[in-house]
Amino acid sequence: MIDKRLFEQFQYIGRDIFDAGLTSSHGGNMSVRVGDRIIIKRRGAQFRRLVPEDFVETKLYSKDSGLMRASTELIVHREIYLRTSALAVVHCHPRSSIALSLCRDEIIPIDNEGSYLLRKIPVVSVEYASGSREMAETVAEALKSYKIIMQRGHGCFSIGETLEDAYQWVSALEEVSDIILKHKLLGEPLIEYRKHSESYEKW
Amino acid sequence: MEGWTGKILDIDLSSRTIVEKSLDMEMGRLYLGGRGLGARLLWDLVGPQVDPLSPENVLIFATGPLTASGVQTSNRFSVSTKSPLTGTVMDANSGGWWGMQFKRCGYDALIVRGKAEKATLIEITPEGTALKDAANLWGKGVFATTAALGQNNNKRNVLCIGPAGENLSRLAAIMNDRERALARGGPGAVMGSKNLKAIVVEGSQKNRPADRENFKFMLYETGKLIKASPLTSQALPEFGTAVVMNVVNEIGALPTRNFQQSQFENADKISGESLADSILVKNQACWACPISCTRISRTKKGEGEGPEYETAWSFGAMCGVDDLEAIFEANMACNDNGLDTISVGSTIGCAMELAERGLVDTELRFGRADLLVETVHDIALRRGLGAEMADGSYRFAEKYGAPELSMSAKKLEMPAYDPRAMQGQGLLFATSNRGGCHMRGNMLGPEVLALPRLIDRFAYQTKAGIVANHQNTSAVVDSLVLCKFTNLAVSVEFFARLLSAVSGMDFKSDDLMKVGERTWNIERLYNLREGFSKTDDTLPNRLLEEPIAEGPSQGHTVHLAPMLEEYYQFRGWDENGVPTLKKKTELSLDFI
Repeated sequence: MIDKRLFEQFQYIGRDIFDAGLTSSHGGNMSVRVGDRIIIKRRGAQFRRLVPEDFVETKLYSKDSGLMRASTELIVHREIYLRTSALAVVHCHPRSSIALSLCRDEIIPIDNEGSYLLRKIPVVSVEYASGSREMAETVAEALKSYKIIMQRGHGCFSIGETLEDAYQWVSALEEVSDIILKHKLLGEPLIEYRKHSESYEKW
Repeated sequence: MEGWTGKILDIDLSSRTIVEKSLDMEMGRLYLGGRGLGARLLWDLVGPQVDPLSPENVLIFATGPLTASGVQTSNRFSVSTKSPLTGTVMDANSGGWWGMQFKRCGYDALIVRGKAEKATLIEITPEGTALKDAANLWGKGVFATTAALGQNNNKRNVLCIGPAGENLSRLAAIMNDRERALARGGPGAVMGSKNLKAIVVEGSQKNRPADRENFKFMLYETGKLIKASPLTSQALPEFGTAVVMNVVNEIGALPTRNFQQSQFENADKISGESLADSILVKNQACWACPISCTRISRTKKGEGEGPEYETAWSFGAMCGVDDLEAIFEANMACNDNGLDTISVGSTIGCAMELAERGLVDTELRFGRADLLVETVHDIALRRGLGAEMADGSYRFAEKYGAPELSMSAKKLEMPAYDPRAMQGQGLLFATSNRGGCHMRGNMLGPEVLALPRLIDRFAYQTKAGIVANHQNTSAVVDSLVLCKFTNLAVSVEFFARLLSAVSGMDFKSDDLMKVGERTWNIERLYNLREGFSKTDDTLPNRLLEEPIAEGPSQGHTVHLAPMLEEYYQFRGWDENGVPTLKKKTELSLDFI
């Protein structure tokens, strides 16, 4: 059973993610690592309307019947915890970032805040877009080097020590993407203001 | 062949005649195959005057238009008959290889009528069909019979009965490929009543898709979703169906000690996880199945398939037993004798309660794992108390003055879900045409697993429509004849597109759902013709009147009456549960 305070964190972050338009009504998922276990949102629960029963506790180092109710992406969350030092994972579907992921192999911020926080967000691509072993390994491997990554055409995975950390990277990413798109709309050349900004590509 | 072969093999064991007939393709379009086709043929062939164990009853073995096509899980087949356990229309289906091989013999269905003078087997090969003497096999177990007849998974497949079928146990299954079972409702007894020991098939024909490009694409898309679903790609392959044991127990829906409780204190010891950590040797797949949920387990007593969730429950929580090895050995005994594990375990659980209440003189008590295997043999051989238990829990409990202790609906022992904790499941069991059953739809999906969406399991208003849709969908899958687990990952839309690609005919989702509804209604009409009525759409009093005493489902009973009323309305039936003329006309059933 999920602890009341932990549940409140999930509830607030879930509400904020939905209110910020970072995912659709039933899309996305999030989890935290608790010792040798994972507490993860159940499949199909709405980010905006979470209740304690929407969370499933399952093993980290082996599988169990938690699979039956947990998010489809449990396999990805588990692999992330196994390969990185993450203690929290957020997965959602930020629209502008998804649009950019369809035509770029990486998203490089042009704004100051995004550059400072993220520098570069790689875009990974897998054949099976949801819940596959291939996806789990690709995403988890990428998150060894980055705190947030995009999966082409699908959404982002971000990690942190807390849910709020992971949420912050998602929020920052979408701001980065919105600014890139708006700059494109202007159709005017970028006046570079960041020293060594060309290095972001190598980040 | 592109979908259907267009041929039915019709064998009369009394006259020893073998006839090949054409399949009416309009019937094929309206009922597809498997369960739907079986129900339609049974309507014409077996009327209310027929005793299920008489020569006038028939066995209809049927494949579907996707069988042997290579579509994921297209290995299955069904048998339809009038049930000696329930007296209702009955179909049971099974996986493995036999169904695929039978289709390759060039038939959509096999009808077996009459009664052979002595023990007989049917052999169907590319050289023709023959009736052969089976005297040397009569009395032998399923494992020995299957081996003696040369089972070879991809070339030659054996279907047979064991001692339970020969002894006309109403719990007898027909077994195929050694350990797969057409289990429910006693079809093995019907086969035994015909002195038919086995059917061996060797085929050589192929079910080639009409639209190869589209077929290839649809196979890929279907495979992608099966691979993406954690249920079909991880939970079932790793833990088998018993993966739901802890889930169902956690919410207080695991029937325990003959449904006296709804949580078993040692559920974890009989769960899929414990199985994987103890006696599991490996998992295994049926033909063309990417899921591989079959368990191969081993104890000192032997190696074999199982246990499935329902079996781990029926010999486990239902009997108050937490010894996984004993459960598996009882499972093996059922397989070798040719018995339905759900009904056998549940009948033993019923006997245990009768004994604890002092109504039956037997050593059986809840928790007596040591008596399970011997009791299974007693039932198969009709020895001692087993002679009475072989007729199922209802007749057994009735004989000892307490029919209400049979946890059955329409005399079919219910499976491993307490309907008090899942209202929709209660309505589903009560209205199931073959009796209490989780394979005629299963509300575990929406009421527990959030498939496709989580609904309030204790609510009863609005459940009727969801239950009816699940029942219709289940009839579609059973008529195609595919494994229900594919439906955990892909929707009926995928089945329609696959069928269109294989057959070259245009099928839409709604066409298939109409097949499902038609099948459900003709089964209902069959039961009404047999004398069943609204009063049979019910559950044991324990579930209607005794609230669950403790745990997460504490205080609940099944609110059947309001759900039933809504259900009849949703189905377009009158207040007595009889399909109206309008409904029959809409479903092309107005010939009834």
